Amino acid sequence: MLKRTSLIKRLFILCCGKGRHQLLRTSLFCIALSLLAGIILLLLLGKNPWEAYRSILQGAGILAKPRYAGRKSQLTDFMSLLNYTTPMVFAALSVAVALKCGIFNICVSGIMVFSGFMATVLVGYSNLDPFVAKILVVLIGALSGALLGMLIGYLKHRFNMNEVVVAIMLNYIISYVVSFFIQTRFIDPITRQSVAVTQNARLTLFDYPVGSLKMEIALVFPLAILAVFAIKFVLDRTRFGFELKAVGSNSKASNYAGIQVGRAVVFTMIISGALAGLAGVSYYLGSNASIQPRVLPSLGFDAIAVALLGNTSAIGSFFASLLVMIFDCGTTYMSSRMQVLREIAALITSILLLFSAIGIFFRNLADRFQQEAEEV
Amino acid sequence: MENLVEFRHITKRFPGIVANDDISLSVRKGEILAILGENGAGKSTLMSMLFGMYTPDEGEIFIRGKAEHITSPLVANELNIGMVHQHFMLVENQTITENIIMGIEPKKRKFGLFPIVDLQSSHEKVQQLSMHYHLEVNPRDTIEDVPVSTRQRVEILKMLYRNAEILIFDEPTAVLTPQEIESLLLIIKSLRDSGKTIILITHKLDEIKKIADRCAILCKGRLIDVLEVATTSVQHMSALMVGRDVSLTLDKVEHEKGAEVLKVENVSVVSQDHITLVDSVSFSVHEGEILAIAGVSGNGQVEIADAIAGLIPIKSGRILLQGNDITTASVRKRIEAGLSYIPEDRHAVGLILDFNLRENLCLKQYYRSPYSNERGILQHDAMNELGNTLIEAFDIRTSKGNDTLVRSMSGGNQQKAIIAREINLDSKLIMFVQPTRGLDVGAIEAIHTRINSLRSEGKAILLISLELDEVLQLADTILVMYNGKVQTIRKANELTKLQVGEYMMGVHVEKN
Repeated sequence: MLKRTSLIKRLFILCCGKGRHQLLRTSLFCIALSLLAGIILLLLLGKNPWEAYRSILQGAGILAKPRYAGRKSQLTDFMSLLNYTTPMVFAALSVAVALKCGIFNICVSGIMVFSGFMATVLVGYSNLDPFVAKILVVLIGALSGALLGMLIGYLKHRFNMNEVVVAIMLNYIISYVVSFFIQTRFIDPITRQSVAVTQNARLTLFDYPVGSLKMEIALVFPLAILAVFAIKFVLDRTRFGFELKAVGSNSKASNYAGIQVGRAVVFTMIISGALAGLAGVSYYLGSNASIQPRVLPSLGFDAIAVALLGNTSAIGSFFASLLVMIFDCGTTYMSSRMQVLREIAALITSILLLFSAIGIFFRNLADRFQQEAEEV
Repeated sequence: MENLVEFRHITKRFPGIVANDDISLSVRKGEILAILGENGAGKSTLMSMLFGMYTPDEGEIFIRGKAEHITSPLVANELNIGMVHQHFMLVENQTITENIIMGIEPKKRKFGLFPIVDLQSSHEKVQQLSMHYHLEVNPRDTIEDVPVSTRQRVEILKMLYRNAEILIFDEPTAVLTPQEIESLLLIIKSLRDSGKTIILITHKLDEIKKIADRCAILCKGRLIDVLEVATTSVQHMSALMVGRDVSLTLDKVEHEKGAEVLKVENVSVVSQDHITLVDSVSFSVHEGEILAIAGVSGNGQVEIADAIAGLIPIKSGRILLQGNDITTASVRKRIEAGLSYIPEDRHAVGLILDFNLRENLCLKQYYRSPYSNERGILQHDAMNELGNTLIEAFDIRTSKGNDTLVRSMSGGNQQKAIIAREINLDSKLIMFVQPTRGLDVGAIEAIHTRINSLRSEGKAILLISLELDEVLQLADTILVMYNGKVQTIRKANELTKLQVGEYMMGVHVEKN
């Protein structure tokens, strides 16, 4: 018995213990665990897990489905995956940048609603030229997000207010104020959401004909990729990135070294807020076209787990976003094909998010086992 | 007189040191026994064993003539042993009564059904207790609203409420003002007169002289002597405490000190709870001079260094560095004005443990050329080069050179990294706070040699240390601090170790 536990421990250390690529290995371990949990869940429901996972990948456009409707193909599925992934990439980057500086930004959802609303009201209903309108939407999104981020950073720095408390309050304030305006001025009586924005302002082209196919094209997806590399560059190569990480790792030592801690916090939150703002416009004026009043997008909270699964690195956040959105998009197809309830299918995504958030725990546990093993 | 507590051949080892070495000591019923010793002499370790926070490796503790295994503070409580810790263990947002009854709350049933804490009768009991022992407190006050001296009374009441017979005080006067100390000493005396047995851990000789009956002196883990206080002079006690083996190896070249580099004028620092930590301190450090600040831990030395570096605000006074007023300058401005600082806590302040060695070595220069260009892009090649140079010059041992995570390095090498970084700044003033704490003999010697050679180069050096030997070995000028005040500033060769020890203990307070 004793020997078996130590074998399990040793396997565990191999997966999450110290050494090369510990962070990557832990994340992969988390993914594997959640897949395993999903398999158990599916078996309990009497479904074939292999088929279920295959259909998830098929639904997300990674594998080919057996049949396609007219003007659809694997490519159109994949393009809509990218469309849904775009806001998640921005949101996960927003969380990751803040975490690198030691700030827990849970206001992403609120910022998304705010920036989406600002862009909708200011540009969404105008008759501007499509090109100008889209650029304006992006700018307004980033700017309004940056403003809110700056507010959170300033309150933390100036009054030592906990950013989590501020964010919770802001989430409520934004949610209710925005829904007040939507319900009094911009409500669509049929959908009970805000009036849909014009096609000119949308950042996603819908049913865009490419050859014989009609697909969704997320115009800001390249911007998301660009943001990933820009954030990576800022964190790894710039003076500001150095200060940001220093403050996040040890603010006392940073102060001692002459870094202006407050300034770093405020600037980090401006960047984080701008990214959340971009997530907002690519969500509300991209994959969606209207805002549902009094609902905070769950994507803003999922982004926390996604950023953790990506080890709060820029590249990691991108791949984690992609993975989570594959599950998210694929489960719709899976539920119809395997006759699994939509809620059960969504559960698999939730399990992945749950396991990804506890990666740090696995890492620490493995470190402890390793220490114990070395002592004996 | 009956022996209430007996330590028999107690030995306690921690990795690397013997904290208590074969200590046999008895405490008589109804006396005040003072335990005297320098930092790290083993006083707190010995008392922690009596209070059940550690268990001895060898030897036994007898309470009321019976060998007891005190495995936890709960067991100590049952044996009627109580302890007032240096850092109070109180819940800030609860009332005094709630703090006192915590863990042994009297319960009653509301309407004969619902169990509740009987606060009313507790208030009354606390009130009675406080009247009986002249420890005035208002049982209904909340802890966060009352001053430090009252909090200490609450701690004492907490012990009395639990019927403690043996009361241990761990440096009780360290946080108090002189007036409060007076009244605390009276309280302790009256507790003794009402039949309690008291053990007082302290390094303040005047307090011992005032109230203690006997005094046990510890030095480097050994029990040196137990003296009757009434028949012993403070000078004799201080000599025993510091240890007689004064062997100083002074191979220093005498030379004239140069221009003034640092001038500190009437600087005062107060803590967040308005306790004066540094009280109108003035001194100056010159080129080629090592000024050492000696003093027992917690007498305001570290705060002076932090204030000079700009890490904590000062209440009044001026600080001049090479003629520039830096009193309100930012931390970075001070560094650029010529200030290097090796802080006391290398993990929390001196290093970013999750950064690699290169990044830590560049921590104070990363923002300027050649480590960053004018557009704010880090120049990794230049940083690597600096890292490699310093690793070699200062013999920093690592597994992966520049890329080694600082967290994984040994304490000695971490300290070398800090010293390398600070000396590399080429500042005129270098402040060392406890530069050799926790290091082995070889590392200590290397650092001492380094400090001496910096002095020869004409740097101004401010050394703050709790190790009296270190101070005496290196200093040109010695400043002794006690209770946040300057006791004396003298040339090192005008002071003997015993004199410094007396100043540190505040023996000469009245005379100055």
